[in-house]
Amino acid sequence: MNLNIFIQHFINALSLGSLYGLVAVGYTMVYGILRLINFAHGDIFMLGAYFVYFATIVYKLPWAVGVIIAIILTTICGLLVDRIAYKPLREAPRISALISAIGVSFFIENFAVVVFTGMPRPVVQPKILMEPIIINGDIRLIPLGILVPVVAFILVAGLLWLLYCTKPGLAMRAISFDIETTRMMGVSVNKIIALAFGLGSALAAVAGIMWALRYPRVEPFMGMTPGIKAFIAAVFGGIGSVPGAMIGGLILGFVEIMSVAFFPTLSGYKDAFAFMLLIMILLFKPTGLLGERLEDKI
Amino acid sequence: MSESMLRIKNLNVSYGAIHAVRDVSMEINRGEIVTLIGANGAGKSSVIRAIMGLVKAHADEMIFTSPRDNKEVSLLGKPAEAHVKLGISLSPEGRRILPQLTVEENLALGAYIRDDAKGIAEDIEYVYSLFPRLKERHRQKGSTLSGGEQQMLAVARALMSRPDLLMLDEPSLGLAPILVDEVFEIIRTINSQGKTILLVEQNAFAALKAAHRAYVLEVGSVGLSGTGSELLNNPKVRAAYLGG
Amino acid sequence: MRRARNLLLTIISAALFALFLDKAPELLNGYWQRILNLIAINAILALSLNLIYGMTGMFSLGHAGFMAIGAYVSALLILTPAQKNAMWILEDIYPWLLHVNTPFIISIIIAGLVAAFFGWLIALPVLRLGGDYLGIATLGFAEIIRILITNTPRLTNGSLGLKGIPAHTTLFMSWGCLAIVLLCMVCMLQSNFGGVMKAVRDDEVATKMMGINTFRVKVLAFTLGCFGGGLGGALMGNLITTIDPRMFMITQTYNILMIIVVGGLGSVTGSLIGSVLVTTMLEWLRFVENPITIGSINIPGIPGMRMVIFSLLLIVVIIFRREGIMGMREFSWDIFFPKRKAKPKESDSYSGPVLEVKNLCLKFGGLTAIEDLSFNINHGQIIGLIGPNGAGKTSAFNVISGFYKPTSGEIKFMGHQIGGLRPDQVCRAGIARTFQNIRLFGNESVIRNVMVGARIRQKYSWWMTLLPFIFTDVIREDSTVRARALEFLSQLGLEDVAHEKASSLPYGAQRRLEIARALATSPKFLLLDEPAAGMNPQESEELMKFIRRLRDEFDLTILLIEHDMKVVMNVCDYIQVLDQGVHIAQGTPEEIKANPRVVEAYLGKGAA
Repeated sequence: MNLNIFIQHFINALSLGSLYGLVAVGYTMVYGILRLINFAHGDIFMLGAYFVYFATIVYKLPWAVGVIIAIILTTICGLLVDRIAYKPLREAPRISALISAIGVSFFIENFAVVVFTGMPRPVVQPKILMEPIIINGDIRLIPLGILVPVVAFILVAGLLWLLYCTKPGLAMRAISFDIETTRMMGVSVNKIIALAFGLGSALAAVAGIMWALRYPRVEPFMGMTPGIKAFIAAVFGGIGSVPGAMIGGLILGFVEIMSVAFFPTLSGYKDAFAFMLLIMILLFKPTGLLGERLEDKI
Repeated sequence: MSESMLRIKNLNVSYGAIHAVRDVSMEINRGEIVTLIGANGAGKSSVIRAIMGLVKAHADEMIFTSPRDNKEVSLLGKPAEAHVKLGISLSPEGRRILPQLTVEENLALGAYIRDDAKGIAEDIEYVYSLFPRLKERHRQKGSTLSGGEQQMLAVARALMSRPDLLMLDEPSLGLAPILVDEVFEIIRTINSQGKTILLVEQNAFAALKAAHRAYVLEVGSVGLSGTGSELLNNPKVRAAYLGG
Repeated sequence: MRRARNLLLTIISAALFALFLDKAPELLNGYWQRILNLIAINAILALSLNLIYGMTGMFSLGHAGFMAIGAYVSALLILTPAQKNAMWILEDIYPWLLHVNTPFIISIIIAGLVAAFFGWLIALPVLRLGGDYLGIATLGFAEIIRILITNTPRLTNGSLGLKGIPAHTTLFMSWGCLAIVLLCMVCMLQSNFGGVMKAVRDDEVATKMMGINTFRVKVLAFTLGCFGGGLGGALMGNLITTIDPRMFMITQTYNILMIIVVGGLGSVTGSLIGSVLVTTMLEWLRFVENPITIGSINIPGIPGMRMVIFSLLLIVVIIFRREGIMGMREFSWDIFFPKRKAKPKESDSYSGPVLEVKNLCLKFGGLTAIEDLSFNINHGQIIGLIGPNGAGKTSAFNVISGFYKPTSGEIKFMGHQIGGLRPDQVCRAGIARTFQNIRLFGNESVIRNVMVGARIRQKYSWWMTLLPFIFTDVIREDSTVRARALEFLSQLGLEDVAHEKASSLPYGAQRRLEIARALATSPKFLLLDEPAAGMNPQESEELMKFIRRLRDEFDLTILLIEHDMKVVMNVCDYIQVLDQGVHIAQGTPEEIKANPRVVEAYLGKGAA
């Protein structure tokens, strides 16, 4: 393998990993606060891709406008999911909310089939993102491959700023440790939970849009596998930790791309790597790389 | 001085089949330290949690009169976050420090409802003057503090919303005797600076010495009430604790 | 009498149903026969998932994987060498596999066994996880199984799948399998071993304290559930006659989950009702995806609409009727007949000597919960363990009962070292306890709570419960245990509520039930953690009498933590006082009341 191909793979892994990371952040925020695996999160990601497809390709809006509209619509969907399917179950056993989440995921996927049809639709990539840049004469870089990780890192940095330097962020971190005490401090807990869903959905929308550009097509079940993998990335990085989710996503991206790059015969097993990583981490370090231990009391 | 701040009539709290608080009535006047004492399991914490809106409670009335505008407000059915805005705050039993947040962040959370950055900064200086130890550790995470420091942080955090009524649930729990004295000293100081205080304590002796008035809770209902010094010498208080 | 009557009614209805199945090919068209078949298969799948999740409380999302294993194993065993040669186009089939050929019945049994084997293999590492993590890990395994099937073409013909599987799944076959599964499962659940599984679901900690190795119970239930998954998958393959890896996606698991949620988690009856409802509804809803012509108007079909309606129903059910149709209740012929009561029998007694605690220390990280605690307890004593909050009393209980390992020091029970044993081992040694925050198996009846306590004194093995009519030990031992349980209940004044749900009892009764359950483990030494908590003065008065009676009637030695000093002072022979982990005093109630250190610990410095 020469350096050129290795760099291609590296960029590829970086951008796949950062997409997993962006989706994983949404899982980790919701799980950190509510201890709920938001199964519908992968489908929110799919909605983001569809919205941008409709805005730019069907309604011919400029990309910048389309992207903003898509993010807003996706965020609204995420908030609605919380309001309708999870909020009534806050006091219920956690497993009920989990089943509700499975129902919502199922609903969104099939609703998408009804509205958008089950046919995959091709996405036309803007030329400017695909024009290769040639460095040193033989290293070819596609701008999209660079754009994806850059955007992802900026967004995660922004999220970290919000979590660590603003009041709502402080409340969000506090809620994940102790909802009751946070309420005692005058925080409207439901608003903060909605904020977490909103932010997570917005990030998922961005990831969905970039995913659609990368594999240029959209289809109703496109969120299923990336969604589950991103959750695994979140567990791997340590559930509840935003930097952990990003690191978990990157590790997963690198494992998937590099193992197939170095051992092409394994390509059929690509989707199994995530699950193997998951089982390994759960057995050897159940709290994930950056996670905190949660213990039951007798 | 004897204007009422909190008036409770026939408060009842149940958890499923357990009737934890039965027909408790009490009154807290402006500027007082009132203490609620009683053995473990007598329902002290339930009373304070009911006042804060953290548990479902039934009462004939639970009226809070804010000294800010002298308006009477019923606390029944209001969520905890609304209480904070009215001017009530609680330093909960077991301290409930947020372990992964720094001392400073814990304090900032206490001031969550406020937007006056300057006032908040002043209050942070104020609580640091009350608890100089916290200032030394302002960048440390809550989980790294000792038990006594965590207790100080819990009290300081409750002060950060600038409450008119400060409720303290077992502030001496698990503290070494020397720290217990220190905590009660500070409670008196805070009171002398104008805050009304409701104190729930298992350490009856220290609480009675500090309080203006006291209520003794016996398995869910008020058995005795009186001034701190009256009750200090009442043999029934001892009986309530040691089973006569 | 009741038993015989119910058995007769069951046999009659089963016979009538068999008659119906016999006539079904003439009465029903192929479409409805297929639905009937699917109902039976779905019921088998739902029952097996319910065994894992509803009965034993393990959230598994891996059923589709075990179905896939079952379907493939069975198909590979049935297909003829000629068929296999024709089908494996991409790569050659393994020669050893080419000629393997078994009859249908054998193939589905092997299918179940192979699925169970994989289930067991997976259970060993994964069941150490709890809750959602278990769900994700099992989902992961199901995916891995699917990926393996796709990528091993020499074994499975890869993504092309298998075609031309003979349609062996007839109505008699599917319903016959369901009948056997149902019979075994009902027998197992009715035995005391079934009670143990449900106890694990309701409160694993308390089950350990009943002397049960809960991990083994979970592995067993999971493995049995996987057998059902494999069996169902095999029947499914032989009904549809074509299988490929895409058939066994997560959607398949969701469908089964839907059945047990709609029917009621933890209810066998619910799973059956759910299978009928969900299967017919899924088929019936197909109409929304087909074009409809009403007169001259043509309504085009809407693909995907079926699952939209289906998932909406799932959400509505979980939000508005979380417990499903049946909750955890079961069908019983008794609902058609009035109730009667059972009678108790005589008791037996125990004898036992001492607990010795020597220099016991317990530390968590830097925090010292107990420091250098030593005391002895003599046979027949009632000892009070008191002290302010955070004194380390419950920690001491947790060390003695095996939930915490002592950092140093010795605990000897009747001369044997028990420090560091697991809770179930401690229980077997003869120590029972209650919990500060009552830990009953809330969804189970009062009497079954007590029966779980007696499980460790029973001799029969779990597998006998599948066929209790052959292994009559199961029935005999269970009825002895039931009689003993009733006797405990009547002594505690709970016999009238023996068949009520434990969580529906008033608080005081729940406390007594917890004691009855502890007594059922036949202890020599009983630890009571705040038995009077939450009781009013009159109730604690009764409790005091009761604790003394316990000691006398069951020949017990009792150690109790209590805050209600009236109870402690009146009932205890001797008192140990802890304060902040340190043993500060011991003595008779009078001595303790007069001890200045105790008064100070309780009332604060200066009070004495």
